[in-house]
Amino acid sequence: MIFDIARRSLQSKSVLIPVESLLGTATGSRMPIVADSRLNRAIAQRVVEACPTSALALESANGRQHLALNYGACIGCGRCIEVGGGAFVAAEKFTHCGVSKTGLVRRWDVENGAEIVADEPAMTAAAAGIRALLGRALNVREVDSGSCNGCEQEIIALTNPYYDLERFGIHFVASPKHADMLLVTGPVTRNMAEALRQTFAVTPSPKLVVAVGACGCSGGIFSGSYAFEGPVDKLVPVDAYIPGCPPTPSMLLTGILRVLQQKFTGTQAAKSATPR
Amino acid sequence: MSPAPQPATPTKFDDVLRLLASPNVRLVTVFGSLDPDRRVRVHYIADVDIRDYCVLDCVAEGAVPSATPVTPAAAWHERELADQFGVQIKDHPDLRPLLFHENWPDGVHPMLGDVANVPAAHREYRFLKVQGAGVCEVAVGPVHAGIIEPGHFRFSVVGDTVLHLELRHFYTHKGTEKLLEGAPVMDAPMLAESVSGDNCFAHAVAYCQAVENALGIPVPPRAHAIRLIGLELERMIAHIADVGALCGDVGFTVPAAYTARIKESLLLLSTRYLGTRFWRGIAVPGGVKRDLADFDAGPFAADVAVAAHDFAVLAQMVLDTPSVQNRFETTGILTREAARDLGVVGPAARASGIKMDVRHDHPYGAYRNLTVEVPHYHYGDVLSRARVRIDETRITTQLITDCLNALPPGAISTSVPSDASGEGFSAVESPRGELGYWVRIREGRVARCHIKSPSFQNWPALPLAMPGNIIADFPLINKSFNLSYSGCDR
Repeated sequence: MIFDIARRSLQSKSVLIPVESLLGTATGSRMPIVADSRLNRAIAQRVVEACPTSALALESANGRQHLALNYGACIGCGRCIEVGGGAFVAAEKFTHCGVSKTGLVRRWDVENGAEIVADEPAMTAAAAGIRALLGRALNVREVDSGSCNGCEQEIIALTNPYYDLERFGIHFVASPKHADMLLVTGPVTRNMAEALRQTFAVTPSPKLVVAVGACGCSGGIFSGSYAFEGPVDKLVPVDAYIPGCPPTPSMLLTGILRVLQQKFTGTQAAKSATPR
Repeated sequence: MSPAPQPATPTKFDDVLRLLASPNVRLVTVFGSLDPDRRVRVHYIADVDIRDYCVLDCVAEGAVPSATPVTPAAAWHERELADQFGVQIKDHPDLRPLLFHENWPDGVHPMLGDVANVPAAHREYRFLKVQGAGVCEVAVGPVHAGIIEPGHFRFSVVGDTVLHLELRHFYTHKGTEKLLEGAPVMDAPMLAESVSGDNCFAHAVAYCQAVENALGIPVPPRAHAIRLIGLELERMIAHIADVGALCGDVGFTVPAAYTARIKESLLLLSTRYLGTRFWRGIAVPGGVKRDLADFDAGPFAADVAVAAHDFAVLAQMVLDTPSVQNRFETTGILTREAARDLGVVGPAARASGIKMDVRHDHPYGAYRNLTVEVPHYHYGDVLSRARVRIDETRITTQLITDCLNALPPGAISTSVPSDASGEGFSAVESPRGELGYWVRIREGRVARCHIKSPSFQNWPALPLAMPGNIIADFPLINKSFNLSYSGCDR
């Protein structure tokens, strides 16, 4: 009965994961990273050939060969880990969430596996800082523009007692008219294109748009389809990207918080960060 | 599953219609393919006497007689056939475009050839107009209030009472069946996994089994066992989440939050032992990619049992709560006749008095050595659909635990020849019901793949459960069916 349920719920131990353990964590995401110096020319060639979504590519710069991995196209299939001879592993830590389109690409020197561009700055925000930043109110509207429902499953998970997005003052709202941020998933199908445009149009400014998942970032595995109209940034302006297939709740959280940190610590920081 | 009989010569349409009209025959799916002479073949798969999947095909020359007057279950399949292959269907009651919305021009048939750079268009789509004093139309979607997939619902109401509901779906149509054409056999599971993101393992296994049937590949017992664990865990997660969401839809948020917690504990469990939350990338033709260590089986089973116990206690409390009973009982009744006519599958069929379950009727993989209990109810209301899920969660837990306690030793995959050819069909019982894949393989590549998703079959039944209910109960009724939009639209 109703009171038994309330009692049971109150007596159960909290499962809330502290924010420090969530930021930058990617366990279970299947995102590959170059692990060590085992990377060489042969392996690089092999992984580029094995990648089904062309997320991996060889580039030359300054007489050196680089292996570029576009996480926006990576669906985490694990082929590069299989054929990479130990040079690739599934990432436990991954911070390239909520980044710009160029920030989705990481590069490694094919000779020694050294990363070319330094990692994006690590997340330093702690719970208190985030609260001050947001004034306890960010309203998010999720828009499925043709996703497989995988990203939705993970976005829904953000509201469960483990991740509890509301502790940061972030709410999902029922209408784009109430939203500060659109979280757009899916490759954007032709049948959804107009609905996405209209959803963006009725969202009040200033507004943030975050493209979520491999499909949202690049079209992912659907980019060759006749029904593909996207990716998201082809139809509406996108502020940041969260890769993954699907991105785990911690990747989504890392991404959303990073977007806020960047947007609100810029020129309008003083005004926006004042608690309301 | 026993290998489907392959007719050497095409069947006549009259024979197919006669078969579909006979008792104890349920239409599973209708789809097209191109034969070597580029003629369209129309394939019919039927479940005969709950024993065999019968696969028939006919050559489409001129207009094809519609099977819809014989079995309404064929209605959407034939509309899809008309859209994909441009096949003319004779005597079909409703041939409006299904896959392509107003912004597609007429005459786009993607399976016949290249459909890149299709020009913009502004066609008209006509909803059924319900007329009379006091009738209002309420349009809902495609962008919904919750974190859900897109689809459009057009209600005709008088006051709060729904007279008629019409669906407009396929917003998430991604042309997956076309994308599968030409994909290497070993790569296609990635596409199958992206058909319906919360049933991704069922899709991957159904695809893999179809390939294994087509090419006659034996699967090691250990791989079968790991697949069973994945399929049942996926079912457990889906059912627990569904019961929680039903509570959420009647404003009972505490159990909704509690089930979300149980669900997450199971996703974290998968991550811990297999490195993937939704079992993506595990199934592959010939077996599975990840093994479960023998010493992990015990702790894995223990964690599943804890989650199942938690849920069982909670579910009983929910069912005993009068306000829940009041909202669930007699709401959204789908009659047995309607369910049968429309070929409804899965928990929705079992709640309407149809005892069917692929694991029981057409056992596959590790289910061949088991007898799966099939709980079923007769009322066809929201409560029955909730009860089916609660009962199945208990059975599912037992299946997982038994399987983990007796994991067969040995290899987890066999190799698949890279240049083999063949045709095969296979079905699995996904959390939403019978999910079938039919594949034609030519020299190691998929030449044609048809996905029969349970949601495609069940969506047309939802409008029949609505009339007489109040519009405020729609989210509850819709959730009690819990159909996939992407799985339907593909």
